[in-house]
Amino acid sequence: MMLAMGESGLRKVYPVLESLAALIAGIIGGFIVSAVLGYDPFASISLILLSGFGNIEYLLSISVPLTLSALAFIVPLRAGLFNIGVEGQAYVGALAAVYVSSLTGFPLPIILAPLAGALIGFLIGVLRVYRGVNEVVSSIMLNWTLFYTVSFTISRYLRDPVIVHQSVRVDRMLSALEALLIALAITIAVHTILYRTTLGYYIRVMGSSPEALKYSGSSESRVTLTAMSLGGVLGGLAGALQVYTVSGFIDVTMSAVFGIGFMGIAAGLIGRATAVGALPASILISALIIGGHKLELVLGAPPELADVMIGVMMLALSAPYALRLLSSKVLG
Amino acid sequence: MSSREHVVLMKGIVKVYPDGTQALKGVDFEASEGEIHALLGENGAGKTTLMRILYGEIRPTKGEIYVFGEKADFKSPREALRSGIAMVYQQFSLIPSLTVAENIYLALSSVRRISPAEVRARAEELSRKLGWSMPFDYPIESLPVGLRQRVEVLKALLAGSKVLILDEPTSVLTPLEVEELFKVLKSLRDEGMTIILITHKIREAKRVSDRVTILRRGLKVGTFKTAEISEPSLARLMIGEEIELTVKGGIPKPGAQALVVEKLKVKDDMGVLRVKEATLTVKYGEIVGIAGVQGNGQRELVEAIAGLRPAIAGRILIDGVDATRLTASKRGKLGLSYIPESKLVGLALEMNIVENSIMTLLSRFTRRLVDVDWGKARDNAGDIVRDFGVVCRSLDDTVKSLSGGNQQKLMVGREIRRRPKILVAHEPTQGLDVATANMVRRRMLNLRDEGSAILLVSSDLEELLSLSDRLLVIYDGRIVSEGRPEDYTLEKLGLLMGGVIDASYG
Repeated sequence: MMLAMGESGLRKVYPVLESLAALIAGIIGGFIVSAVLGYDPFASISLILLSGFGNIEYLLSISVPLTLSALAFIVPLRAGLFNIGVEGQAYVGALAAVYVSSLTGFPLPIILAPLAGALIGFLIGVLRVYRGVNEVVSSIMLNWTLFYTVSFTISRYLRDPVIVHQSVRVDRMLSALEALLIALAITIAVHTILYRTTLGYYIRVMGSSPEALKYSGSSESRVTLTAMSLGGVLGGLAGALQVYTVSGFIDVTMSAVFGIGFMGIAAGLIGRATAVGALPASILISALIIGGHKLELVLGAPPELADVMIGVMMLALSAPYALRLLSSKVLG
Repeated sequence: MSSREHVVLMKGIVKVYPDGTQALKGVDFEASEGEIHALLGENGAGKTTLMRILYGEIRPTKGEIYVFGEKADFKSPREALRSGIAMVYQQFSLIPSLTVAENIYLALSSVRRISPAEVRARAEELSRKLGWSMPFDYPIESLPVGLRQRVEVLKALLAGSKVLILDEPTSVLTPLEVEELFKVLKSLRDEGMTIILITHKIREAKRVSDRVTILRRGLKVGTFKTAEISEPSLARLMIGEEIELTVKGGIPKPGAQALVVEKLKVKDDMGVLRVKEATLTVKYGEIVGIAGVQGNGQRELVEAIAGLRPAIAGRILIDGVDATRLTASKRGKLGLSYIPESKLVGLALEMNIVENSIMTLLSRFTRRLVDVDWGKARDNAGDIVRDFGVVCRSLDDTVKSLSGGNQQKLMVGREIRRRPKILVAHEPTQGLDVATANMVRRRMLNLRDEGSAILLVSSDLEELLSLSDRLLVIYDGRIVSEGRPEDYTLEKLGLLMGGVIDASYG
């Protein structure tokens, strides 16, 4: 009995241990690559970590939109759907936030932007349910369509009269604390939806087995549409918060929002596809990115060193799964 | 033991799956050059497992294999193919969007270096020889199932196979296509090929094979010259004789009609008609059993009744209400409960026991609009676990971590404890130990005595004969016989299930 309890306790902390191991693997990966590139590995890694976590306020304001992006990826993932469209949903959310902000002030832009993202998520869901289009394919195409549409809209209709390569600024910026509170509230909401509501229950059943979902009395189409729309809501909010806490505007090359969706996938996976894991994972990734930029300034080393560390962490996290899969194949 | 005429020789093959299931308990098998050898048995007898071992797809736990007199230890089907063994599965391994020629090239190029043009030329030559006109430039998805099977056979022959294993090849074919296939198999045999035909259809084995090996529950019953053994003997050997009634029920008091199925037609996932005008009735207070060899439409029939699969014709009445077009959850509200054959359907393996315990009755565990009452759900899960003896460390265990038998207890317990008005149970005792299986059987009898209607589909004849108040036999998508259990002898059941006779017999 003691052993059984110990085992079950171990299985609870197991995911946390795996994440820590992945973190260490990432640091070792960064260590090796910086040594190979001819930089002092101790200096570069400590610089990345120290400067990454050096300015907590800045770190948090970068982490919050990323957290939302990670959540936008996670919710559909729990239903077995890959929301690669977070990127496009964030573009649209950012654009909606800038536009609404030019008409009326905070908080309405933050409230309406998710609706724009939801439309995109819903569209991807409709294409999958009624036309059998794989959500990954339609998402990738939509991401680029939306990239140019938003870029065009900014330069044509929402251009700043003085600085012509960017949009008008939003009415105000959110402080890191405000942003953090929003992220915490949304995290709790997503966790509650996933674990305490029938919707979340059906999302998770579908992720486990679509046949079981049908058997349990729900339908795959309904859950797909809802999960993708919900992902879109969160993706749209990610874009709006990026504008409201980080950039303040969108430039015509889209660099203010570009990549947030893709980085959200990394954060979602490093957070073990859980709502509560999204924020810590996003803080970690943001710290690495900030540290990577600092590294370039101080040592002249490529900032991609941070990307290497993120990549190694994701590989390390998928390793236990790959091992399980391999062993079951060999045994089966 | 390297006799040239033993093309395939398997000795003492044992296969224990990681979950402890003994699929094969020491089976010998041999096949000679230039024969059609039928491998006959019920589902679960181990036919397909034995052949997948020969084909190098799964490894035996124990046993030796010789191919053309040489010891073989295939680590993959590719190695088996190189040694001249090919297998055509029930589920074809073809890529739907590629053309026939492309699929054949894909298969051959993985075995040896060859150019697409050469493959094409040889494929055309071979199909001319077989008298087949093949649409080489059409994508597989545009072809009927019969033609897809021919593509698989072409693939196997072009790979230079000397031994061709066919797993239930006729289950997807129309009668005319079956004739054609048999003709081709016989001509291949006359050219010296060895053909192993996995089948549960006695009549087929009798018609086309030269020899027949019978497996039952992982053991070999015997190998016989087909010409020297009768269909009734085959039926008896296939099903076994030791049948013991272990559960006795009270006297049924059938009441009003609970479940009515009228002229139902249902297709499977590949679009093949599996249920062909099935008609049956289950009354309150009775258990109606359906006997049949797996793959004769049982699965499609019960899935259509449960609302998981559309009926293309016919009607389903649940408690007097036309439910043909209703969703699964609406049927549930009419009092229907369904125990599926597959745990992938009936359980969400990644989720925990509590979550699985409310899968089919979520609405009873919600407060207000959306809030799942996990406290109440946990009590319910605890009740099932105690009542049905599910062995687990905690209720928070994922169902995936339970053994197959315990998963089955959870799934069956959940549905039986609901006290459904109508229960459709498909293989409810599969994977259970004898004591638990008998407990489940008693619980179903209790349900019936309380007035529930039960439709029981099972491959366990002992179970069907001891529980059913009425027994139906399904063969090839049709109910071919109906009667009281005591009206059937085992031999007659075997013949009915093997499609040798229909209800007009005896």
